[in-house]
Amino acid sequence: MIAYIVRRIVWMVFVIFGVLTLTFFIARVIPADPVAAVLPSNAPDEALEKMRVEMGLDRPIWVQYSRYISGILHGDFGISIRTRQPVLEDLLRYFPATAELALVSLIMGTAIGLTLGVISAVRQGKFSDHAGRIFAIWGLSMPAFFTGLMLIILFSHILHWFPQLGQMPAYLRRPPKVSGFLIFDTMIAGNWSLVLTELRHLVLPAFTLGWLSTAAVVRITRSSMLEVLPEEYIKTARMKGLRESRVVIKHALKNAMLPTITVIGLRVASLLEGAVLTETVFSWPGLGRYGVSSFLSVDFPAVVGVTIFIAFLYSFCNLAVDLLYGYLNPKIRYT
Amino acid sequence: MFRRMIVIAAFLALVVMPVWGQVIPRDTLVVGMDLGIIVDLDPARVYETTTNLVIEQLYDNLVDFEGTFDVAKPALAERWEASSDGLTWTFHIRQGVKFHSGNEVTADAVVFSFTRALALDFAPIWMLDQYVPSAENVQKVDDYTVAITFTAPLSEGLMTAVMGVQGICAVIDPSVVEENKTADDPWANKWLQFHDAGSGPYELIEWSPNDRVVMEGFDNYWDGAPKTKNLIFLDIPERAQQRVALENGTIDLAWNLLPEAIDEFRDREGFDVVEVAGWAITYLCMNVGQEPFGNPLVRKAIKYAIDYDAIINGIMRGGAVMGQTFIPTGIPGHLDATPYHKDVERAKDLLTQAGYPDGFSTQIICQPTSPRRDIAIQIQQDLAEVGIEAEITQLISAQLYTLYRAQSHKLLVGGWGVDYSHGDSLVKPFAHCCSTGSDAPVRQLAWRNMYSNCDLTALVDATESELDEAKKIEMYKEIQQTILDDGPFAITHYPLNQYAVPEYLKGFVPMNSDSYPEFCGVYKE
Repeated sequence: MIAYIVRRIVWMVFVIFGVLTLTFFIARVIPADPVAAVLPSNAPDEALEKMRVEMGLDRPIWVQYSRYISGILHGDFGISIRTRQPVLEDLLRYFPATAELALVSLIMGTAIGLTLGVISAVRQGKFSDHAGRIFAIWGLSMPAFFTGLMLIILFSHILHWFPQLGQMPAYLRRPPKVSGFLIFDTMIAGNWSLVLTELRHLVLPAFTLGWLSTAAVVRITRSSMLEVLPEEYIKTARMKGLRESRVVIKHALKNAMLPTITVIGLRVASLLEGAVLTETVFSWPGLGRYGVSSFLSVDFPAVVGVTIFIAFLYSFCNLAVDLLYGYLNPKIRYT
Repeated sequence: MFRRMIVIAAFLALVVMPVWGQVIPRDTLVVGMDLGIIVDLDPARVYETTTNLVIEQLYDNLVDFEGTFDVAKPALAERWEASSDGLTWTFHIRQGVKFHSGNEVTADAVVFSFTRALALDFAPIWMLDQYVPSAENVQKVDDYTVAITFTAPLSEGLMTAVMGVQGICAVIDPSVVEENKTADDPWANKWLQFHDAGSGPYELIEWSPNDRVVMEGFDNYWDGAPKTKNLIFLDIPERAQQRVALENGTIDLAWNLLPEAIDEFRDREGFDVVEVAGWAITYLCMNVGQEPFGNPLVRKAIKYAIDYDAIINGIMRGGAVMGQTFIPTGIPGHLDATPYHKDVERAKDLLTQAGYPDGFSTQIICQPTSPRRDIAIQIQQDLAEVGIEAEITQLISAQLYTLYRAQSHKLLVGGWGVDYSHGDSLVKPFAHCCSTGSDAPVRQLAWRNMYSNCDLTALVDATESELDEAKKIEMYKEIQQTILDDGPFAITHYPLNQYAVPEYLKGFVPMNSDSYPEFCGVYKE
């Protein structure tokens, strides 16, 4: 088991190095000048040249690459051309907001997806089966900016149930920064009414983002439940006189969860992609918007930084999923 | 069942109901805007409109502009006078003015601020160092008097426009910089990215990138404490969202409403729409170095082919006004001339005279964002009517400006913002080019479009040291007329700065440049 984990981590390092190199060169071969995007079009050529020298962009590409790699080995991801801040500082600044959003939406999406998936399987072919699947596919088919806007108009503008945007009301002061995670920091500050307010602010964006994951979870849960439900041990459980809910949840769902876990694991990375639109619609100060702004201005230190970050999360989630398999199905052996 | 209902009721009570209680307090003004562009709040570095708007609230300059840009008003300098040769301007600093730290604003602080900006030498410095190249040009006369020597005699209008540039000409508290400098960062640039050291009407409490800028009124402000205690700029990148936020009371003012939203607010009770012509010129430019745009008849034909009304009323939905000269409304020297309108026959005649009776094929470059992409499509259709087949290529800014600066485009839809509130900041980019090579002293729009006109360039140079403001304005008009007739730019419109102001909000004055409005006089009734 330990040897397996070590081997996977070594592979992870190779994958991230490959992603890093590829992204670095792709970002640099595009015939585009990041400085021209960052400075206003009014800026004279001298100002651009000055900034190129300042950022080391006047050096040959292999010098830039070797410097970059050497920096990364020392924990330095370079300086963002757009924000002029160290990329790592930027990533750590924006990541907590995205992590809070992604985590809550993952929980929401999974909870809704699993429930609908189980209901669809148990009531196969009935109204609730069709309704659940339509709901799930609807979420997947609609772009997040449209879903977000519709939810805002309904729940914020018309019903006044949930706030429209941001992590908290504009007129309230943020708690002192400790972890960077707003809700944790608010808890540390002991401001519980603000925690509640922040949770309310999370509902609409998290639902918008989570709805995207729902469809995949519903489909996979439904089909694996349909495979499991006719099994002999389920019949045995029923014959033992167990309550139907216990049969479905304890006996069927646990065994049907394996493929669902894979999907959920892979959704984590997709959530980061979905966060781009959701964060824009809900004015959420997260990594998605930072990434898009960096991509559009060809701010390659930031682009590479964001890419490595996502590649790392992706590899890490895959590893976590693989390890979770062992817990769910003890027959699986790691070699 | 009963238990379930209790749970649902508790959920509603905790999560849903309190939203109704969330109202912006009366002493707080929340303005929704796209803050994504803000990456740094160090005055020596700021160069974008939105960042400048923040700087305007936090810092003071020697001079300032209020409402209009015709005449500068005294700010930290209560008066100023020129030497007989017009080269040196002496500023008398207002006594008793405090920085947010409590330190006094003195001549030393003014000298320090200019020295710092020049030493840091960041991108916007050219606006200052073209006339004030060295810290030695800024001298303390006594504790409350500073003399600045310019490289050329400057008229009062031009001098105040340059001294009014936000950021690089802002006055900074030297003690605060001293306290926060490090060995690697002797000018405390890193610290000032997230803090302020100014004397403006508001103090910076927090800038949370892509989220909000929180400011608090400075009680000891020399011009009186702001009427609203707290000022918050809230990041709302989606313009449609700004409208919803304004409607449901999440914000008090929206900074980037779409013209269609403005139209709806116009008829709505409880809101007043205020608007003023803005300074973000949009144009189609033609590279004279690429055939057939070297032929002035072809350039004129294209100017007559464009349907300006369709752009203003269709694409911009009335959020723009007709304007075809490069010094926009609100800047002294604006030439109010709009000779071009869509005239297909005339355009075809001009093309025939130029030797292109059957038109030609070309390429339009634009950014993949609205409205510039839509304007490019409109122009493509208009050109097709006169026989010119134009293919559209959409490029992101990093690619588009790389091509543009390398003089490699044919037709391009671009825009230009005003750097400082004087014709001087526009005649150079739009008309100064006597050589299309890399030796040219000004390599801006005329140069990028390879429009070389040495007589016109000489006239532009002559305007710089013309001390008689009236004569200078006449020269600006002559330059604009030449560019209008012969130049490589078809300016399509001047956009409007439009705001839907709730009736309870008083004292908001829109300005041509949306980085200059001050919020210290804005309050809720």
